[in-house]
Amino acid sequence: MKEAIACGVAPAVKSKTREIDSARVRAGDRFDMTIALRHISKRFGTQVALDDVSLELERGERVALVGENGAGKSSLMNVLYGLYAADAGDVAIDGAPIRIRTPADALTRGIGMVHQHFTLVGTLSVAENVVLGKEPTRFGTFDLPRAVSEVQATCRRFGFDLDPRARVDTLTVGSQQKVEIVKALHRGVSTLILDEPTAVLTPQEADELFAVTRKLSDEGLTVVLISHKLREVLTFATRIAVMRRGKKVAEVKPSESTPESLAELMVGTRTPPPAPPQAMPGELVVTLEQLSAGPLRDVSLDVRAGEILGIAGVDGNGQRELAEVLTGLRSVDAGVLRVAGRTGSLTPRIAREIGVAHIPEDRLKHAVVTDFTVGENVSLGRHRHAPFANGARIDFAGRLDRTRTLMESHDVRPREPQLRLGALSGGNQQKLVVGRELDANPKLLVAVQPTRGLDLAAVDAVRSRLLDFRAKGGAVVLVSLDLEEVLALADRVVVLYEGKVSGAFMRAQFDERLIGKCMLGVRDA
Amino acid sequence: MLESLRAALPSIGSILTSLLGCFVAVAVLRGGVDVAIDAFLAMCWGAFGDFPKFFDGGASAVLLRPLGESATKAALLTLTGLSVAVAFRVGLFNIGAQGQLIVGALAAAVVGAAVELPSPLHVTLCLLASATAGALYALGPALLKRYRGVHEVISTIMLNWVALMLVENWLVTGPLRAVTTGDNSIAGTAQIHESAELPRLAGEVSRLNAGILLAIAAAIVLWLWLSRFVGGFEWRAIGATPAAAQASGMNVGRSFISAMLVSGALAGLGGAVLILGTEQRYPATIGAPYGFDGIAMALIGNGHPLGVLASSLLFGGLRAGGTRMQLFGVHKSFPELIQGLALLLVAARLVWMKLSNRLLPPKGGA
Amino acid sequence: MLLALLDSVLDAAPALVFAAIGATLSERAGVVNVGVEGMMRAGAFGAAAASILMPTPLGVLVGVAAGALVAALHAWLCIHGRSDQVVSGMAINLVMLALGQFLLEAAFSSPAGTPPIEQLPKWLGHSPLTWLAIVLPFVVHFAVTRTPWGLRLRAVGEKPQAVAAMGVRVTRLRFGAVVLSGALAGLGGAQLSTAVLDRFENHMPAGLGFMAVAAMVFGRWTPLGAAGAALFFAFGNALRISLSSSAPGLLEVIPQGVLLALPYALTLVVLALQKPGASRAPAALGQAYDPELR
Repeated sequence: MKEAIACGVAPAVKSKTREIDSARVRAGDRFDMTIALRHISKRFGTQVALDDVSLELERGERVALVGENGAGKSSLMNVLYGLYAADAGDVAIDGAPIRIRTPADALTRGIGMVHQHFTLVGTLSVAENVVLGKEPTRFGTFDLPRAVSEVQATCRRFGFDLDPRARVDTLTVGSQQKVEIVKALHRGVSTLILDEPTAVLTPQEADELFAVTRKLSDEGLTVVLISHKLREVLTFATRIAVMRRGKKVAEVKPSESTPESLAELMVGTRTPPPAPPQAMPGELVVTLEQLSAGPLRDVSLDVRAGEILGIAGVDGNGQRELAEVLTGLRSVDAGVLRVAGRTGSLTPRIAREIGVAHIPEDRLKHAVVTDFTVGENVSLGRHRHAPFANGARIDFAGRLDRTRTLMESHDVRPREPQLRLGALSGGNQQKLVVGRELDANPKLLVAVQPTRGLDLAAVDAVRSRLLDFRAKGGAVVLVSLDLEEVLALADRVVVLYEGKVSGAFMRAQFDERLIGKCMLGVRDA
Repeated sequence: MLESLRAALPSIGSILTSLLGCFVAVAVLRGGVDVAIDAFLAMCWGAFGDFPKFFDGGASAVLLRPLGESATKAALLTLTGLSVAVAFRVGLFNIGAQGQLIVGALAAAVVGAAVELPSPLHVTLCLLASATAGALYALGPALLKRYRGVHEVISTIMLNWVALMLVENWLVTGPLRAVTTGDNSIAGTAQIHESAELPRLAGEVSRLNAGILLAIAAAIVLWLWLSRFVGGFEWRAIGATPAAAQASGMNVGRSFISAMLVSGALAGLGGAVLILGTEQRYPATIGAPYGFDGIAMALIGNGHPLGVLASSLLFGGLRAGGTRMQLFGVHKSFPELIQGLALLLVAARLVWMKLSNRLLPPKGGA
Repeated sequence: MLLALLDSVLDAAPALVFAAIGATLSERAGVVNVGVEGMMRAGAFGAAAASILMPTPLGVLVGVAAGALVAALHAWLCIHGRSDQVVSGMAINLVMLALGQFLLEAAFSSPAGTPPIEQLPKWLGHSPLTWLAIVLPFVVHFAVTRTPWGLRLRAVGEKPQAVAAMGVRVTRLRFGAVVLSGALAGLGGAQLSTAVLDRFENHMPAGLGFMAVAAMVFGRWTPLGAAGAALFFAFGNALRISLSSSAPGLLEVIPQGVLLALPYALTLVVLALQKPGASRAPAALGQAYDPELR
């Protein structure tokens, strides 16, 4: 970690900073303790998120909470941070039960949390974001200069390289992550929860983050790391708690674990999907030549029938826009786009007609209408055509028939076509979406984060559908922020950085470090 | 069946609660439960027919006259309610039904007075003029929304006032004012020709006119469109989840525009029914916030065309009956208070959702 | 003539200024407030009715409280009931419209208005509320930009999750802002019935609440901008009235109705001309905050 750049703190403020620091140390002594989550249960509607989970955190420990998506890691920590109210169980400090009902309660107990989804106000400056909720005042007014100098001091003390006056929405994702951590540290927390902090970071940025956090933990900070990336967990944590389906299934030491043993604990008896067989690419389905659209600049790539092209990159480097171009949601500014033999910009309707299917990232926003029935959702996209329509009228019988077949073949439960889609679990909704998209016999499938937030069985189901589709000669563009997923499924990988292609790899050349460098835009690949 | 009951529960519960609340209010303010009972009964007889008098040997007029009043008021409520509801279905909040009604009413008054034609043709022409005027007035907000991203709530609020000021403070009092002959107390536009008046359905006994038939037909057509046709399906999908609708190949912007055109046309037709059925000319001011009543009807009717029709029939009736409450020292706008409270209660969506989940547990839920 | 014009602006503008600033506060906190009209009506009625029983300055406070009370209902519906905020606001307008008529009839047996009351005293030729309306925009501007509360207000309208994560109660912050908004709208209404006129009349506030919303949009959701727009609208109105008496010929060229429609049309034009996506509306405006939203 670099030293903070010129903070230019005036001497008078320096002495004040020292006071604050010593205050923090005193406060830290007060927090010298064990935090215990005891028998926590929590449900959302009918879905059990946490089932009788207990976890102890010792001062200065680095505890990793691992588990697949939806295992309950974040929910457990949201209970500790006062965002979720537990249905049963309590939190105790040094054996004495305490009530944490709001984040304010958690903060006064020295517990801070950095969320997976940033909780930053883009229109405010770094300093304003950091002091929000505990603003320095002067005669009752907000003392911005003091806020700036205090935040500068905190940055410097903990070795963060940030300009307190910068507007947050001008910062990179990596810097915003740092602001989140500074927010917690500025409050003088003694326990810091990091929820999937590296999800949007490059491997290099992630290394930097862990180096800083490790230093803080050596100084007495308790760190909880929520992650499903086993390698980072094994190098960082001093203790690992494994969660599965809302339960804590094991607590292990990193020295006694391997990625394989952890994976087994996380997924239970599940057999991992088989490594994809060598692809037999066929004719060209997608061709991009020097394509520019929105943030995309001069992107050239192609996808052939019978292969999966993985798109890797740090969040916000043009992957989403690439998927939008291919599915007709975004028009081309310059360059050539050729999809399934058709040249030029697409609209969603044309894209569907020429055989482009789409599994969007945010299912609830882009793929389904939760207030519609399962049958109505199955008809979405082909609702103007048989068997779903008869001229201008809806063909109710045809729709019911097709929906039944689809629910059967894709194992969507419960098998009730008239049920409101929102009543289905996330996994079943996604299986329905995948089934619907493949049911149209597409030539190209654009899948964006297709397994995010699903339970394990559904993840396997979705992944094997993608591989089946490829085996039958379909072309797949797989966009995922999860590099592991891309590397597990793709035949080739293209890395995007700032809207440009920064690297391309055949399966035989897959190298996580090298791809990571391309994701960061360090061009020595 | 269970699902439709669940959907209707908030509305029914809200109406009953607000009726009860207003009953208590009258009882407290007017000194006694018996007074309140009398007042409410008077309202009922005024709304749905004077049954006691009828059974005492009265002529059928004691039934027909109140029903005619109720139906006239219900027709207007239904049309403006459908106007708001149809925009709701594509996810737009058309607060501008008032302005669209005003321009529709003016169009009907102008066409009704300007030409003289055989009656069916003349009425049709007036209705077309009103629907067109209303639709065009709603087109502005739709275009602003689509091309400039202006929120329709703001733009329709603004256009309401533009319409009101231009029509009632200029056109009706200025260029379009009826030529005064001696008696200069006449404000508003010229009387429409008799051929433009909506046909009376019950002769001279009651003011019941064909407006209610138009309203019922509009509700049924809209219901069929939304539930049976692909185009209506698209509107509903866009209203519920616009991004998913767009990704499914639907043209969201075009549907915004077509739904707003229909919405404006319905509000415009409301204006026509007001002029051709009741006022016979554009008066100095139309006074009442019919367009805002439409918001209440759309929401109490849960956005469903038949629900809008049902709630309009109920509140149209209460309004017609409300006049009789004046005998008990209650202002005739009392039913509007009931309606406002019912709307306020319907608005507390979360409360009703919790309640209905308890009373009628939802199916499924893995 | 210019002095007379200034005089009439100073009389007419305060109600609009108060209401526009009120609307701004609510919306900066992320709660849409199209119920300003109803809140003003509550304030106007409350102030006039109370002033029959007590000194008018106290009556004004009752009006403020009435506006705040109605706003509390709006806040409860939007924040705790998670209603559609536009629906709730319109419902409040409708209820207040009907309730005003009902109470007039019930309490004063007169559908037109309350009996006359004693007007607020005049300081330097204008009611104290006029002078307050000149100071208040700056006070609120200062509060929004330079106090911890203002920082939180701005943050909660943009990203309530950020405020919640830092231990500030989103619901309480929003509730307070909406109630304050209603209090200001109530004050605006009270100014109508105790300073502009000397009674509550059934037509009040005759669309001023909607004009306040227009002023807020016109002023780009800032207190000073909203107050400026309100002043501008009031000035236009005063000019129209003064012209109609001093230069009746002009009104034959530009009719009254056109001038009356101008503030609304201008707001629309400004909205139509701005670049798409350039709106300064708070990012989280209109969205209910659900702490357990996943």
